[in-house]
Amino acid sequence: MGESTSFWFEFKKGFILENPLMVLMVGLCASLAISNKFENGIFMGLAVIFVLTFSNILIASIRRFIPGEIRIPIFIVIIASFVTMVDLSMKAYFPAAYSRLGVWIPLIVVNCIILARAEGFAYTHTVKQSIADGLGMGLGYTFVLLIMGFIRELLGTGKIVLFNKTVFSLGAYGRYAPSIFILFPGAFLTFACLMALLNRYKARQIDE
Amino acid sequence: MRQLLFKLGITLLVVGAISAAALAGTYVITRKRIEKEDREAAAKASVQAIPGLKSPSQLKEEPKLTDTAKKAVPEVTKVFSTPKGNIIVIDSRGYGGIMENAIGISPDGKVIAVSNVSNRETAGLGSKTLQPDFLDKFKGKTVKDKLQVGQDIQAVTGATISSRAVTGQVKKALEAFKAISSGGGSE
Repeated sequence: MGESTSFWFEFKKGFILENPLMVLMVGLCASLAISNKFENGIFMGLAVIFVLTFSNILIASIRRFIPGEIRIPIFIVIIASFVTMVDLSMKAYFPAAYSRLGVWIPLIVVNCIILARAEGFAYTHTVKQSIADGLGMGLGYTFVLLIMGFIRELLGTGKIVLFNKTVFSLGAYGRYAPSIFILFPGAFLTFACLMALLNRYKARQIDE
Repeated sequence: MRQLLFKLGITLLVVGAISAAALAGTYVITRKRIEKEDREAAAKASVQAIPGLKSPSQLKEEPKLTDTAKKAVPEVTKVFSTPKGNIIVIDSRGYGGIMENAIGISPDGKVIAVSNVSNRETAGLGSKTLQPDFLDKFKGKTVKDKLQVGQDIQAVTGATISSRAVTGQVKKALEAFKAISSGGGSE
């Protein structure tokens, strides 16, 4: 496998084959909690892509200097530092989004995706592959958040509001929109339906 | 063994020191902006408790009145005086966490309007109690009104706890107003 095919391979596996949410099923709590609004997915996704990519890059580049015995504490310190940077910057420059995402931004530290990629990938791969992995996994995560956010906000409120502007509306449906979709049960229902669809798709692929 | 422990310790020390430096840098860059955003957001929300006020600069914080009000009602965080009446900011527990509301009260003791400063209520459900549809019900209420959910205030369907929290805050603001207008010097 050449260098470029390997980059592409590591990048695209995060979307379906090894999607962090739908296949690896890591980092579910935060995504179930904040996917009640499409816009949340954008900010949460960007925050995760940033932390994931930069912690992957840093860990892959200094991996030869990290003693195996204390690699986990070092990973956590690195990840926590990036998360705190995102936390402070979002609070300063996107206060409205920050107040909605609230505690879930600092909690990216304990989001299993990040540590799992550090331990399972970046620690044993080159910087270039780790960039591809971080971006791909981060985008795969964001992709699912956006789909869930879109379905839940649309069914639960009858419209999609982006940066205080209604960009898409179902009209009269909005008045009867069942708010269960923006509450916690809606998160599980939506996630379960998406899982079922994905499994059906995978089963078909195997049949053929 | 000792050498290994030393090496591990030094590695952790270096990683920790670099992270601390990076975080300190980020903190210094963002601090001023975060403080400014917090202050502006609070002032912008508070000023809406009395419609007709143009900008947050028309708010005057009154430390003396705040103290008097706090003695009567501990949940009061700030009291502003404005040309059209007082604005009392209160925070207490809602359904999702602390919510802070600003309540504008006219000199004759009537609620002018209620405006939300910050909240953690469930989006689309508890948050409906912070929308004009619900908050307008408090217009003109005085300290003599009962202000009880289910009696003179109808709760938002499915958001009884949030409705009670907001109603309780309005009632407390009126009590605080009574305290400052009777005891704490005439404004």
